[in-house]
Amino acid sequence: MSTPDSYQATAYTKRRRLAQGLNVWLFALPALLAYVVFLVSPAVQSIWISLTNWNGISPTKAFVGLDNYVQIFQDPTALLAMRNNLLWTVVTIAVPMVLGLLLAVALNGATLLKPFLRTVFYMPAVMPLVAIASIWSWLYDPSNGAINAFLKDIGLGALAHPWLGTSSTAFGAIMVPAIWVRTGFPMLIYLASLQGIPSELYESAKTDGASAWQCFWHITMPSLKPAHYIVLALSLIDSFKVFDIIYAMTYGGPGNSTQVLGTWMYFNVFQFYHAGYGTAIAVFITIVALACGIPYVLSQMREER
Amino acid sequence: MTATTSPLARERIEVRGSAPSGRTMSKRRLTATIVSTIVLLVIALVWFAPFIILLFTSIRSSTDFAQNGPLALPSSFTLQNFVAAWGEGLFSDTYRNSIIITVVKVPIGVLISAMLAFALAKLRIFGRKTVMFAVFLGLTVPIYIALVPLFGIVKEIGLIDNVFGLLGPYLAFGIPFEVLVLHSFFRRVPEEVFEAARIDGAGNWRIFFQVMIPLSLPALVTVAILDAVATWNELLMALILLNSDQNKTLPLGLLNFSGQFGTDYTGLAAGILIAVIPMLIAYAVLQRWIVSGLTAGAVKG
Repeated sequence: MSTPDSYQATAYTKRRRLAQGLNVWLFALPALLAYVVFLVSPAVQSIWISLTNWNGISPTKAFVGLDNYVQIFQDPTALLAMRNNLLWTVVTIAVPMVLGLLLAVALNGATLLKPFLRTVFYMPAVMPLVAIASIWSWLYDPSNGAINAFLKDIGLGALAHPWLGTSSTAFGAIMVPAIWVRTGFPMLIYLASLQGIPSELYESAKTDGASAWQCFWHITMPSLKPAHYIVLALSLIDSFKVFDIIYAMTYGGPGNSTQVLGTWMYFNVFQFYHAGYGTAIAVFITIVALACGIPYVLSQMREER
Repeated sequence: MTATTSPLARERIEVRGSAPSGRTMSKRRLTATIVSTIVLLVIALVWFAPFIILLFTSIRSSTDFAQNGPLALPSSFTLQNFVAAWGEGLFSDTYRNSIIITVVKVPIGVLISAMLAFALAKLRIFGRKTVMFAVFLGLTVPIYIALVPLFGIVKEIGLIDNVFGLLGPYLAFGIPFEVLVLHSFFRRVPEEVFEAARIDGAGNWRIFFQVMIPLSLPALVTVAILDAVATWNELLMALILLNSDQNKTLPLGLLNFSGQFGTDYTGLAAGILIAVIPMLIAYAVLQRWIVSGLTAGAVKG
C-alpha cells in the first residue's frame, strides 16, 4: 500500500488507528457501562455505607469506622448465621458432588434411556428456588404433608414432627431440597467428562487384570480432576449466594435458627432499618466470596493463552 | 421419539463391537444394561416423586384430600383448583411481568455481552486483561453487596415498583457469566475466517454482525437460554424493588401465594404447578441446549 504522498499516508493511518481504537471501545462500552453503573459502583458505595450508622431512610448518616464489622462478631445471630453458612457450604457441595458422581458413573455405564434419565435428574435445577421451597414446605407440612404421612405409613410415625417448625431440624430440612436442586449440575459435568475418557484405557487395564474398583480409582478419578475443580469452584461461588430457599421456606426461623448471612443482612436492612450494619454483613460475605472465587477467575484468564 | 431408539441402537453396536466372542457375553451385557436401567428408573421415580404427588394433589377435590391423605391416589378429578389458584395467585399479572422482563432483558444482555466478548477476544483493546479480570470477578459477587445502593439508584430513575426497574441490575449481574462463556467461544474461532471479510474491506461492525454472530449462533442461543432461566427465577432484587401485587414477577407472586394459601393444600399444589409446568415443558424442549452450555466449559478442562 504505497501512496505518493507518504506524509499524508501516515497521518491517515494514525487517524485511522485512533478511530479503530475508539471503534473497538464502542463494542465494549454498553456492557461495561451497565456493569459499572449497576454493579461496580453500588458495590463500592456499599463499602462506604458499611462504615456508617445509616438506617436506610434518613438523609443523614454518621461515620462510625469499623464498628459495624466489630458488631458482626458480637452478634449471636450473625455468628449462628456464619456457622449455618459454613455448614451449608460443606453439605450442599459435598453431598451433591458425591451423588452427582455416582449418578454420572451409573448413567455412563450400560444404560438405556440415558438422555431421558439425565433430563429427570437435572430438572430441579432449572426451577425457581421459590417453587422448590413451596414444593418442599408443602411436603414437610406437619399435618397434611406427604413426608409425615409416608413416615406414618411405614411405621416410623414417631419421627413425624414439624420439620421446618422445629429449631433442631429446620436447617437440615432446608438442605434436603438444596441437595435435590444441586445434584444435577455435578452430574452433568461428570457425565460429560466421563464420555471424554478413552475406552482403550479401561480395556488395557482390564487385560492387565484390574478390577472395576481399581479402574475407578486409577483411571476414572484422575481423569475427572478438571471436572472436580470446575464443580467445586462454581458450587463454592454459588453457595455464598444462598437466600431464596431459606427466605421462602422458614424466613430465617424458627427463632433465627436458619439464618444465613444473606438473610440476616436482608432482615437488618429491610426489616430492622440497620442499613449500615446489614451492608457490613454484605461486604463481609462478598470479601469471603471474592477470596474463594479469585483462583477460579484467574484460572479462566490463564486458559486464554 | 428418537430418544428411545437411538441409545438402543448404539448399545447394540457397542455390544457387538466389544464382545465378538459370542452370544453369552452379549446376553450378559444386555441383562446388566436392563438391570442398571431399571435401578436408575426407580431412583429417577423417587427423584421425580415430589412432582407426582403435587400433580395428584392438584387434580383432586379438597374433601378427597382430607379424607384419604396426601399419598393416596386421587379418587376424584377436578380442575377447580387450577381455576381458583390462577385467579387468587394473580398469575396472569405475574406471568406477564416475568415475560416482559425476560423478553426485554435477555436479547439486550446477550447482544452487549457478545459485543464486549468480541472486543476482548478478537480486537486489540486497551487494558484488555484488566477489563477481563474485572468483569469475570463479577461472577463471584453476591447481589447483596449492591442491594442498598441499587435501591437508591432505581428510586432515582423513578422505576421502583416497575418491572423495568429490574433491567439495569439484571443486565449487570448477567454480564460476567455471558461474557465468560461467549469469550471462550469467540476466541476459538480461527482468525482466517475474518481475513476474507477484512480483505473485502469489512469493518469490525460488519465482521461482528455478518461473520461472528452467524458463526456462533449455537453459543448465543445457549447463553440466552441460561440467562433467561436465571432472569425468570430471580427473587431477591425483585423482592426489594417491586411492591404492588400486580407488578410482581412470578417467583415473587408464588411466594405471596404460598403464604396466603398455606392451608389450602390442593389449591397450593395447583398454584405451584401453574408456576412450574411451563418451565418444565420449556426445559424438556430446550434441555439439549442447556446441557451443552453447562458442560462446554468443563470438557475443555
